[in-house]
Order: sequence, then structure tokens, then C-alpha cells
Amino acid sequence: MIEWSEEQLAFQAAVRRFIEAEIVPNLEELEHGDTPPYEVLRKLYDTFGIAEMQRARFKSLMKQDGAEKAAAPTEEREGSGETLAMQLILTLELSRYCPGMVTAMGVSVGLTSAAILGRGTRAQKERWALPLLTFEKIGAWAITEPGSGSDAFGGMRASARRDGEGGYILNGNKTFITNGPFADTIVFICKLDDGSEPKDRKLLSFVLDRGTPGLTQSKPLRKMGLHSSPTGELHLQDVHASADQLLGESEDAYGRSGAKQTFGMERAGVVSMALGIVGRCLELCVEYAREREQFGRPIGEFQLIQLKLAKMEVARMNLQNLLFRQIELAQHSQRMSFAEASACKLYAAQTAMEVALEAVQLFGGNGYMAEYQVEQLCRDAKVLQIYGGTDEIQITQIARDLLSR
Amino acid sequence: MKKILVCLKQVPHKDARLDVRSDGSWIQDDNIKFEINDYDTYALEEALRLKDQGEAEVVVATVGPERAAQALRTALGMGADRAIHIWDDALAETDGLGIAKALAAAAKDENFDIIFTGLMSDDANCAVTGPMLAELLGIPHITAVVKTEFKNGDVEVERELEGGALEVASLPQPCLLAVQTGINEVRYASLKGIMQAKKKPLDKKDLGELGLDAAAVAPKLTVEKIFVPPKGAGAEIIEGPADEVASKLVGKIKELGLF
Ligand SMILES: Cc1cc2nc3c(=O)[nH]c(=O)nc-3n(C[C@H](O)[C@H](O)[C@H](O)COP(=O)(O)OP(=O)(O)OC[C@H]3O[C@@H](n4cnc5c(N)ncnc54)[C@H](O)[C@@H]3O)c2cc1C
Repeated sequence: MIEWSEEQLAFQAAVRRFIEAEIVPNLEELEHGDTPPYEVLRKLYDTFGIAEMQRARFKSLMKQDGAEKAAAPTEEREGSGETLAMQLILTLELSRYCPGMVTAMGVSVGLTSAAILGRGTRAQKERWALPLLTFEKIGAWAITEPGSGSDAFGGMRASARRDGEGGYILNGNKTFITNGPFADTIVFICKLDDGSEPKDRKLLSFVLDRGTPGLTQSKPLRKMGLHSSPTGELHLQDVHASADQLLGESEDAYGRSGAKQTFGMERAGVVSMALGIVGRCLELCVEYAREREQFGRPIGEFQLIQLKLAKMEVARMNLQNLLFRQIELAQHSQRMSFAEASACKLYAAQTAMEVALEAVQLFGGNGYMAEYQVEQLCRDAKVLQIYGGTDEIQITQIARDLLSR
Repeated sequence: MKKILVCLKQVPHKDARLDVRSDGSWIQDDNIKFEINDYDTYALEEALRLKDQGEAEVVVATVGPERAAQALRTALGMGADRAIHIWDDALAETDGLGIAKALAAAAKDENFDIIFTGLMSDDANCAVTGPMLAELLGIPHITAVVKTEFKNGDVEVERELEGGALEVASLPQPCLLAVQTGINEVRYASLKGIMQAKKKPLDKKDLGELGLDAAAVAPKLTVEKIFVPPKGAGAEIIEGPADEVASKLVGKIKELGLF
């Protein structure tokens, strides 16, 4: 893939028009008010017939895996690269204005539904994954805890105890959970407390509905950026879950590979977010460098400013090529190795941060003011280096892969 | 089944940077983005609404270079049924009349019931293609349409006059309507629509295939020079207390018809 196709460009143009008409005028309210992003995202889904397409895709997925194959991992990235390309275009375009919105959308439609599609039974997919795919319901995927982030598996305290009647009693606290405050459907990851050593305990994953007794969803936490993505805590106190809420309906269905699959997806999405942020910063900076005059000429005539612009363009080109590679792989029904996805995520996150910081610098005092969009993009870009595995963790994983060859 | 033609033009994107070419012949358009002329999107939407209401085939046509195919694909993605792409090197230098002749040649055997165009194009601002096309086809036309209603064979329209007044008029079909912006809310191409657009017919036609030749579309009008007026000239500075300045400014904006 060397360029976007005509259809992809047409979709991009249509999405951009929607964003400029429906999101940009309400950005202030979405970022700094109390308006959650879901309504406008649903409108986006309706407008472009995405819900309808997701329904069709779900149907064909269900046809593919017969009852006996129901618990087998679904290759989320398989099938046409076209679907992936359209998803990435959506992410990319939204990230130009509102990376928070992408996060809220991606966690629900992408991560949470994929976790259920990947490991759930047929009945679980129909009950929980489909309404997430169509955005009828909002999803959250909860692994991080106050005491365990990077070491999500090792430090995990959330637990499930068998209740002796085929069900489970769940306890634990989760934090930094995207969509946590508003989620209808929560994938809760915990360890089976069967009396064994904590490090030997099985990893289980349950699907919980909003309003379940014993489940508390906090208000959104205040944070540095990404304001249009509500992030919160979940508290579970003796929550009862029946066997049909256990993903895969088997204590062996989930495991680390289930969570790792979700991490892999998250990492791929970050490249398109970074490209959106970098592309927008570059666009704004070129315009500003042409118009802003100091010492009697446009600042774009100063070589130090030119260097910034040139570096941003190089970053944009690299990110675009990484994105094209992802699409190309999907077109060939292949996917990146975990280590390659980590490398992409690391590069994308660092690049977005660097470019956004340089954009603020190029805008001078204006860059520090909320009125100019680079201020928001800079705050938002930072999260890419933290969630979905911090930069440090990506580095560790890349190195581990290299050293194990 | 009604047959509807929508003529549309691909123009520089509203966010594109417009620099005049060094020879002053036109703007520098080698590396800029293009989109469907704003007026024409309303014309297309009006046609698609008729299609939504009942049996109608919506055909879109454009005169423009290779890149203009993208505008047609977008229109197909929004719901048009087929497209006609007219281009010939001889059309590069033509004027509004030449374009109207090419469109008329493509339309004459199709027997369209209604032809929609935009009132004018965002780039050239001539506002002549629609009316000339209608004249060449020998059908009535009306411009600055802000409302349409289709009643047993006739079209009742409201058109915009100066100063906010409206005129109501009625035309028999077939006829041509040149549409004002804001007349409807233009839909977005759906994802499915965009994917299907590729499979819809897009006919390319050159002058020969339309029964025309270079002489027929030779421009009667030649552009001598395009230029940006020098900065500062014609500026008017309004002075006084803020409220007076504001009301004078509003008056000025209205007077200039900018709003
Ligand atoms: C906006 C936002 C949304 C989020 N959404 C979700 C969500 O939906 N669901 C969810 O489950 N989680 C979510 N998270 C949590 C996120 O995944 C974690 O914050 C992240 O994995 C880091 O964990 P931590 O915050 O506990 O940091 P820590 O793990 O405590 O890390 C602290 C520092 O130590 C470094 N460090 C840790 N271990 C090592 C090591 N071995 N070597 C070198 N350095 C190390 C880290 O890189 C970091 O710099 C979200 C976070 C944010 C900020």
C-alpha cells in the first residue's frame, strides 16, 4: 500500500466534514464541560452506517465459527484490510481534534467487544459483544488496579472465589478505567482465589452489567488531558457473578494470552492516533509559520523554525508508512508480532509527544494558551506514552524479543 | 421513473491555499485538495431527496480533468446511480459556454425530467453554466432556488431575491433548477455507499464521443489576468465609540451582501 485508495479518501473526506460540523463546534463543551462523548459518537455511527456494517460483520463472524469453535480466539484483524483501514481513518480523523473521543470509542467498540469476541461463548458474544460493536452499549475493559499497572498480572489483587453453586463472588478495585463511569458492560479481569499461591492463580475474566449489586462506578477522575474520555474507578464488593458471566464459561478460557491479545490491538490503534495528532500539529504549524511575523518577516523564514517543520513532516511520513503497513498486513490476513506492535506503539507515542511539544514551542505564548489547539493536543499526546503499556514497558518487550532470538 | 441529472464541478477545497500562478492565468492548483462545489452539493441533495421519495434515477455529470472523477465517486457514494465524466484536452481552455455545450451534448438524448445545478461555482463565480445549459437544451430554467415542490408534472419553486425577499414560481418539466446553498441539509456518504460507489457506472466521454470538436468549445471569452488586489487599497476605517462602530460595521456587512 503506497497511498490511500479513492474510497478511503472519500470516507476520510466525509468523516472530516462530519467532525467539522458536529464535533469542532462542541469541542469546548466536550473537553471542559460535562458532556460525555457517547451521543455524538453514536450519531457518527448512525450517519456513516457503521452500526449496520458491524451487525453484518458480526453475523458473518458467527457463521464462521460453529458452536464447537465458539471459544476459539477470533482473529480480530483478519478479513479485509478495508475494514481496518476504515477504522483507522476514523481514529485518525477524530484524533486531529479529539484524541479523547477516540479512546472512549476504541475502548468500547474495539477493546471490550474484542475481548468478548475473542474468548466468549456464542451466547456471550450475542448478549454483550454485538451491542458494543454497534455502540448501543458502552463498554469498559478493566485490568489496572491502584497497586498494579505495568505489572498488571503479577500485582493483581482483584479476585474471584467459587461460591460452591457454580457461580463466583468477585472483589477488587480497578482504576484509570476508560468509560468506567458510564459503562453498561464491563470486562473485569481478576484472579481465581482457589487457595493456591497468588502467582499460580488462574486469570479469569467476567462480564458485568451496570447496576449489578456490589458494583460501584466512580465519577470521572480529573486529569491532565484527554478530557473527552471519561476515566474512572470501579469498586467491587462481594459481587455475585453466575457461570455464564465468566468469559468462555471455563476457567481456562482466558489466561494471559487473552489480555495480551487486547494489548496488541490497543498498540496498533495508537499509531493512527499519533498520525492524527502529528498531522494536525503540522498543519497548524505550517499555517502559523507563514502568518506569524517577527523581526519583520514570517517566522517560517527562520531556519530553527524550518527544522521543526521538517522534523514534523518526517514524523508524519514515518507514521503514515507504519499505518499503511498495518493495513497491508491485514489485507494479507497477517498481523504484527507482539514485539513489532510494541515497537510501533513506542515510536508513535514518543513521536506524537515530541511533535506536539515542538508545536507548542513554535506557537510561542499562543501555544501555551488554550485558544490554540496545539495546547490540547500536547496534553492529550502524553497519554499515548502511558496507557496500553508505558514506553518503558514497550522497550522492555522489544528488548526481550531481540535477546530471545 | 423520473430521470434527474445533477451537474457538478470539482473546485479547490475551501481550506486550500490559493496562490495565483506566476503567469496570472489561474491559481496554482497542482498540489491542492479539491472538493465538490458547495452549491452543487445542495443540488445533489435535492435530487437524492426526490430519489428517496420514490422512483427516480439520479445521474451526476461533470466536465473536468482526471481528478474530477473523485467528485463523481463521492456523489455516487452519497447515493447517485451513475456518473458521466466529460473531459478532453480541448476543454482545458474553454469558458462557461463551452462547458454548457459539452453538458448539453451529454444530456440531450437522455431526456432528463429535471436538471439540477448549483447557482454558481465557488472558484469562478460566473453563474452561467446552468442557464446556458437550459437554453441549449431548450428547456426553462430558474436560478437561486431555495425551495422545491414537485406537483403533478410541474415544479413549484421559491427563489431568493435581493434583500431577503422570496419569489414563488412554477415551471413545467423538463426544466433546470440552479440551487442556492443552505436549501437543505446535505447528507454524508455512508461507509456502505462509498464501498458500493466503485461498482456503479462511470462513463468517460471525450468531445468526439459527444459529437463535438475543439472548434465548438473554443472560448469566446479569454481571461487576461488573475491578481490579488494590493493590500490596503479600498480599506475603510470606522471610528467612534464601540457600539456605533459595531452598528456601522453590521450595516456595511449587510450592504455588501456578505451576510
Ligand atoms: C487516560 C488513561 C486511560 C486508561 N484506561 C485504562 C483502561 O481502560 N483499562 C485499564 O485497565 N487501564 C487503563 N489505564 C491504565 C494504564 O494502562 C496504566 O496507567 C499503565 O499501564 C501504567 O500503569 P501505572 O499507571 O500503574 O504505572 P506504573 O506501572 O506504576 O509505572 C510507573 C513508572 O514506572 C515505570 N515502570 C514500571 N515497571 C517498569 C519496569 N519493569 N521497567 C522500567 N520501568 C518500569 C513505568 O514505565 C512508569 O514510568 C488508563 C490510563 C490512563 C492514564
